Amino acid sequence: MMAASFDRSEAPVPGPIRRFDFPRVTESRMANGLDLRIVRAARFPIVTAMLILDAGEWAVDSTQAGLAVLAGDALEGGTARRSATELAEALEGIGAGLGVTTGWDATTVTVSCLAERLGEALALMAEVVLEPTFPAEEFDRVRDQRLAAIQQRAMNPSTVAGDHAARFIHADGVPFGRPVAGMEETIGPLSGDDARSWLGERYCPGGSGLVIVGDIDGGEIETLVEGCFGAWSGTVEPSDPVAVTPRHERRRVEIVHRPGAVQSEIRMGHVGVSKVTPDYFSLLVYNTILGGSFTSRLNLNLREKHGFTYGVRSHFGFRRNAGPFGISMAVETAVTADAVREAMFEVKTLVNDGASADEVDAARDYIVGIFPLRLETTSQLASRVGELIIYGLPDDYHATYRDRLRAVTQKETTEAGRRHVRPEEMSIVVVGDADEIRAPLEALELGPVEVHELA
Amino acid sequence: MAVLSIPVERYELDNGLRVSLSVDKTTPVVAVNLWYGVGSRNEREGRTGFAHLFEHMMFQGSEHVAKNRHFELVERAGGSLNASTWFDRTNYFETVPSHHLELALWLESDRMGWMLPAMTQEKLDNQRDVVMNERRQRYDNQPYGDWDEYMQAMVFPDTHPYHHTVIGSMDDIAAATLEDIGDFFETFYIPNNAVLTVCGDFDPESALGLVERYFGEIPRGEDLPPLPGDPTLEPSIGRTVREVVEAEVPLTRVYMAARVPPYTDEGFYAAEVAASVLGTGRASRLYRSLVRDRRIAKDVVTFAFPLTTGSSMFMLWATGLPSVTPDELETALDEELQDLVTVSEEEVARAVALTETQFVRGVEQVGDRADMLSMFDRYFDDPARLNSEVDRLRAVSPGDLKLFTEAFLGTDNRAVLAYVPKGAA
Repeated sequence: MMAASFDRSEAPVPGPIRRFDFPRVTESRMANGLDLRIVRAARFPIVTAMLILDAGEWAVDSTQAGLAVLAGDALEGGTARRSATELAEALEGIGAGLGVTTGWDATTVTVSCLAERLGEALALMAEVVLEPTFPAEEFDRVRDQRLAAIQQRAMNPSTVAGDHAARFIHADGVPFGRPVAGMEETIGPLSGDDARSWLGERYCPGGSGLVIVGDIDGGEIETLVEGCFGAWSGTVEPSDPVAVTPRHERRRVEIVHRPGAVQSEIRMGHVGVSKVTPDYFSLLVYNTILGGSFTSRLNLNLREKHGFTYGVRSHFGFRRNAGPFGISMAVETAVTADAVREAMFEVKTLVNDGASADEVDAARDYIVGIFPLRLETTSQLASRVGELIIYGLPDDYHATYRDRLRAVTQKETTEAGRRHVRPEEMSIVVVGDADEIRAPLEALELGPVEVHELA
Repeated sequence: MAVLSIPVERYELDNGLRVSLSVDKTTPVVAVNLWYGVGSRNEREGRTGFAHLFEHMMFQGSEHVAKNRHFELVERAGGSLNASTWFDRTNYFETVPSHHLELALWLESDRMGWMLPAMTQEKLDNQRDVVMNERRQRYDNQPYGDWDEYMQAMVFPDTHPYHHTVIGSMDDIAAATLEDIGDFFETFYIPNNAVLTVCGDFDPESALGLVERYFGEIPRGEDLPPLPGDPTLEPSIGRTVREVVEAEVPLTRVYMAARVPPYTDEGFYAAEVAASVLGTGRASRLYRSLVRDRRIAKDVVTFAFPLTTGSSMFMLWATGLPSVTPDELETALDEELQDLVTVSEEEVARAVALTETQFVRGVEQVGDRADMLSMFDRYFDDPARLNSEVDRLRAVSPGDLKLFTEAFLGTDNRAVLAYVPKGAA
């Protein structure tokens, strides 16, 4: 073997650290209440505009589950001035795609384009949001696509597992228990009128925010935005967080039977915690140690030691209201119970014994260091600034973000984990071949085991 | 005016390693990216999937880096890292806070020069299991997950190195040995078969010194052996090849593919623009026709695979709404392909405008930019070509699309793969 000409066995010493500052955000509020935030980032001649509407699926009544998502989808159906095709041609003609995403907390309308086209792009964005017409033909088409997507979800083991886990974790009536895009029976009857009344209630400048990031001149933007959104009016009153109740108090195993499956899709979780919890930063550190990084306890055990899976992650679904905490992985059928046992072992051990000082240091260093890596693009920056609007976070949130992470102690990490990770309350959902996996899972004696047929 | 002006300096070490340096001090982060000229096309019979399995083994430590240490060090530095295997290449990359540049160079050089002493049967057994689970998760337990396995076998003859997929077969993955690891490493993981790009916040002079220090003493390897099988290819399939697969899928889906000029050929730009006119955005032909007007498809996708050996592959697919038959989808797709002989200036302009925005967005992150620079270095021996790529797309005219369509998108050069829900056929 080749000899090295110098001692290669020690990792190099890092050079001098270069300061990173979150880019300056210019804030203003328009007369109609729209919260405008502008960030100049001039590396490339590009811009992202992101309109954040307080129109998340959480606020939709369960009888119309999926309405916020469907209304967002159907924005492409045309405006008072343009048919669906004319609208698409106008946007794409300036190289701008219009993206609409709807989650539990917000509907986000985004355009990215070359900076020189921003004026045209903003005008089109305003037209789409303020003057959509939801023609019946277009609305029905978009609804049929959503219905077909629901059929697709029902045959994909991964989405089946996610949807079932959400249902088994949350009590009846909690929105988080249903798929964010709704069900066949709730979407099927929806019409353009439902979308129009949803928009009337929720697409309002008061409570919404517009974030513009890119190679732009701040002074001109305000005039531009005023011209596009000035005539818009209305306000959405912010709602207080409500308690999220679990379906079960004690741990259970729910098998969703998929005969002949070569893998089991596993989800283990329970009701989690809100984005605005005081434990937020401690939990970021905790989750990094448990299953939020490649070198997490779960991944090193289940993947790098046992080879049970291609990868395993744990995740806190931080939302305005308490989103779920959960672990997810896909494992070979034959090792299903072994994988659940090992995952449960790691969760319990971390809860009982706490995190080591070195693990806390390493996890903190990782998430502190990676922060600027996730802020390179105009759309990453826009999303980050948008979070301030969605979650009502303070203006200095990003400026102090890394300091607050650095301040997290070993004790705080362990205690936050004990408060928010509760192995005795987990719903363990396994989508796989019940004939193969039921007996081994029962032998783990984790709690009642129930087998459900795939709908 | 060119929309991009990314600076790049190009060097070559004595051992043949090509090095591109591209400085951008906007954010204190730096990307290190390596492209090795080896991929699934280099795999011998009985060892499909090996290039990818080998990529996994590259993370299992090297002589001076213990197992898991590679990940631990990069994550602790606040970096992100990964790798991927493709038909023609394998890439390895990390983005780290800029003061950790030397760490990334040390790790990448140690596995380029000193990987083998760290290899053990236990590590190989472990990663074989991981890769088999990757295959199960992405191919076997996933609706339509194995489409490319069918498609590649239909578009490329069994003598051609693109006949099999990157993931490979379970049997071949299981058959891999430590001896294979040694042979593969000695043959392909040599500095004269790699390009290295550093992109982001660094001082070029000191970075070049570090590259020389860490990589300079790795010896040049022998010239690569010829590709296995027969890489030459007729430009056309010569007929329509078809296959119907009854599977656990919710909705009928029809895939279509054609052989088109390779990525490294001027003719590929027309393929890219054609794919965009057909399927990028809601004003595109397939979206407008199949999704919006005729309401037979739930979604449509088109793209041109960037492959370099003999031919590349032009791909499209449409997922049918419930009760739509594969024949209806195929007929509709065929009509749109035939109609592509007549394209307006406006359509081409839209396709190029969208591609241009995507292209700029695709280089915003130093990691993505480094990967593009490595690619242009590897395929064209010219990383700076990245800056003029949009101009080449802009030069494609409706007339070029007509010629491209007539030459490559007819029924004499087509593979059609239909997935139908079990019990519905």
